[in-house]
Amino acid sequence: MSESPWSRIGWRNVGRHPRRTILTALGLAVGYGAVVFIIGWANGFVAEMVENATGLMSGQIEIHDAEYRPERSLYDTIGGRDGVDFAALMDRIAEDERTVGVAPRVFAAGLVSSGEATTAGQLMGIDPARETGVTRFLEGLTEGRLPEPGRNEMAIGSEMARQLEAGLGDELVVVAPGADGSMGNDLYTVSGIYTTGLVELDATNAVVPLTDLQALVMLDPGRIHEIVVATSDPFIANEMTAGVAASLGADDLGMEVVSWAELNPTILEFSALMDSFYWIIYAFVFGIAIFGVANTMLMATYERRREIAVMLAMGAVPGAIVKSILYEAAAMGLLSLVIGVAISLPPMLWWYAAPADLSWLYGEMTMQGVLLRPVMRVTLDPASWAGAAVALFATALLAALYPAWRASRVPPADTLSGI
Amino acid sequence: MARNNDVRRRVAAFVVLAGVATAGTAQAQPDPMEIMNRVQDLYRGQSSRGQMTMEIVTEHWSRSLTMESWSYGEDHSLVRILEPAREAGTATLMADNDIWNYLPRVDRTIKVPASMMGGSWMGSHFTNDDLVQESRLVDDYDIEITFDGERDGMRVWEITLTPKPEAAVVWGRVEYTVRQADVLPVTVLYYDEDGEVARSMEFKEFERIGGRTMPRLMDMRPADKPEERTTMRYDDIEYDVDIDESFFSLRTLQSRRR
Repeated sequence: MSESPWSRIGWRNVGRHPRRTILTALGLAVGYGAVVFIIGWANGFVAEMVENATGLMSGQIEIHDAEYRPERSLYDTIGGRDGVDFAALMDRIAEDERTVGVAPRVFAAGLVSSGEATTAGQLMGIDPARETGVTRFLEGLTEGRLPEPGRNEMAIGSEMARQLEAGLGDELVVVAPGADGSMGNDLYTVSGIYTTGLVELDATNAVVPLTDLQALVMLDPGRIHEIVVATSDPFIANEMTAGVAASLGADDLGMEVVSWAELNPTILEFSALMDSFYWIIYAFVFGIAIFGVANTMLMATYERRREIAVMLAMGAVPGAIVKSILYEAAAMGLLSLVIGVAISLPPMLWWYAAPADLSWLYGEMTMQGVLLRPVMRVTLDPASWAGAAVALFATALLAALYPAWRASRVPPADTLSGI
Repeated sequence: MARNNDVRRRVAAFVVLAGVATAGTAQAQPDPMEIMNRVQDLYRGQSSRGQMTMEIVTEHWSRSLTMESWSYGEDHSLVRILEPAREAGTATLMADNDIWNYLPRVDRTIKVPASMMGGSWMGSHFTNDDLVQESRLVDDYDIEITFDGERDGMRVWEITLTPKPEAAVVWGRVEYTVRQADVLPVTVLYYDEDGEVARSMEFKEFERIGGRTMPRLMDMRPADKPEERTTMRYDDIEYDVDIDESFFSLRTLQSRRR
């Protein structure tokens, strides 16, 4: 095709008015950059939200007894009354290369008391080493360390510590109804205090080694409520659940394997909403650009109407004129793309490496119960770059259609005679 | 204050009895407030000491607890578990509107926070609120007799308690059925805010204990789990025992451990 004279004519015409060409190309290039950046930021926001929603505490995949949700009853342990060899289940989940971490959990409701103050708490029995490989909430351990099994230790949220006026080393009384109907109660020492940033969580959550909590609430060692799985990418969790369920024989054991998307559909809906919002961004940005490009092309072809008339008079068919102008538009698009990539990708990479810290503007905030850090980050999403490139070419070609059609209809005789 | 209560209660009892007496002959409308006061004083008196057995049956477990209880006036009571041995000594003190639990295993007392007042007491189908709210029913609810006649071959009053507009209460409506012959309760139905029965209590085994005729047994059943129940049976009760308000202290709660 490059042998075609029309493509050469089109390409050459791009260089006819370098300044005008550059300005028009810049318009498209900035549009490209704007789209790439806006989508990068929006994706960054969604990613931040999903990662915080799933990474903080809930994990990307949760495994329970099928009856467990939504009541979260103490009795509905995985595998029913008899419990299950959960260590073996976790090993099987870990065999999947997309699994980053697996952790078991036991939950119980109880009263936590220190001196005069008493608060209702969610007691969370964890395997500290495994838990930190799956979720981040214990990274906020500001004082002390994680509780060790068999030593009657517990870590509590900072808000709970404040309400109970309890500090490191202080003694807490814990009362929790046991699975046999008795009132489990014991003394614990505060080994650590953590802050997740979600005040509700920091006020109600207390962390105890798994085996200690099982003993307190009279659950056999094989009885746990939850297995949490961290996946390498939150968005593959949905695809993984079926495989995990099959490998565990979840149906036979009466278990359910659910991804965060099922547990927290609002976040998924929000993500989908953002995806559809991208189309609006494309439409807006390139919709504005298209008129600028069309105007320039119209002007350029009008200036060249005598030249076009000569070509027509010499036997060029109108389709060839259209072709040459579309080639010109495509060349302009290519130039715009080169400029666009040049001005947008380096800042994107830089931004990706060093997300803007907006803590001067606002502190941590919560949205839909998800804690968001005050950072504005971007994601690197080649698909959106390619999409923007396609949109840019489409814009350039669409903008040239009308000028090209007009040019092909130039009446040669009248034009050449100066009328 | 205690003396005033006492006087009031005696007057109340007189008025109810008078009402009962006249009800039989002249069909005069009895005062629902006085009936309620009478019903609520049933297990209480000025002061009392009793021993009871609480049997709890749930979907997941069932257990039986033997307990000793003391009460004084409307607002003070103390309950201590005697059996099973593993939990013996665990005690609950109710003073005014507060509840404390003593835990012998860790030798600590904790106050039940307001947020847990709706929670189960000792794993039963009674809530912490039930223990303290009972005395306030007449304060928080409007009381009226909504039925006066014969049911199951027995003349009864049906007394309906509807929450006063500003009262912070748990139930949408409470219905007492009271035998007219001796002003003893037969059933209590607790309705939720949608007007559905949430749980029901039945009184049974009307016998003479502690010098009074009264139902020995209370059977509480949650409406959503008909197979579950909590049965409280008085093995023994004596009234007007030699205790006063000072008995109902944290010190007593903790000191009489076993």
